[in-house]
Amino acid sequence: MSEKELTGQESLDLIREMIQQAKSNYQKGGSFHFLLWGWVVMFANFTHYYLEAFTSYEMPYIVWVVTFPAGIISAVYGARRKRKAMVTSHLDRMYGQVWVIVGVGVIVTLTFMPKLSYNHNAVILLFAAVGTYISGQLLRFRPLVFGGLALIAASIIAFSVSVTDQYLVGGIGIFAGYLIPGYILKSKEK
Amino acid sequence: MNGFKPLDPLLHSQLRLAVVSLLLGVESAEFTFIKEKTQSTAGNLSVQLDKLSEAGYIKIEKSFKGKKPVTTCKITKAGITAFEAYVNALKGYIE
Repeated sequence: MSEKELTGQESLDLIREMIQQAKSNYQKGGSFHFLLWGWVVMFANFTHYYLEAFTSYEMPYIVWVVTFPAGIISAVYGARRKRKAMVTSHLDRMYGQVWVIVGVGVIVTLTFMPKLSYNHNAVILLFAAVGTYISGQLLRFRPLVFGGLALIAASIIAFSVSVTDQYLVGGIGIFAGYLIPGYILKSKEK
Repeated sequence: MNGFKPLDPLLHSQLRLAVVSLLLGVESAEFTFIKEKTQSTAGNLSVQLDKLSEAGYIKIEKSFKGKKPVTTCKITKAGITAFEAYVNALKGYIE
């Protein structure tokens, strides 16, 4: 690029071209988090449901410890991707922040589980729905938008069934809301 | 028309305008990314980035990726304001 004097039109063309260049640089790899959390949460939901409904095991909730390593893996993966990326778009930042606040919402919900009479699963499905729906709209990726709607449906059903059955509903909801769109997204990322 | 407004000389330069327009569209970008997108040489880009930084239009952060030094640039509020004023002044020249 030389340092010649610009005409007004040249300036505008240059601005337009550079904005165009900036537009087409979204970070890839969003599917990783959906697949990781999809499998982990679905596994925990189904296992909890099985232990509570069909066995006399007293601490079925212990299965949820699997979310701790998942949280660490998710954070490390995210940080590494961020470090590797040469550019961070506005969208990348927004996308990340949506899930930060969803995560905070989930932690607050879990903290007050007893006050919710242990109907927290239905509330968490709502949070997951909001995050997935916004992600889908940000990426303009319809399967995630539908995933968000599936999670809303799962939340409504969860609110209408027993606490034990909510784990079954949660597992199915996560399968429809995270895993199916997650795999479609992964296939599009290649 | 109310005459020609002077164009900010700091932005009315091909490479500096390209850098600011590019940074406007992203959250932050590394030196190598800006160099590639503006098709400039490292030496020239370095000089122009320093000028923009001195004017407070962009913020430059130096860090390390492993052992490799990395320069990351971000547009500032002053940079956005200057860019908007530049585009408004430009309108007078185009019409």
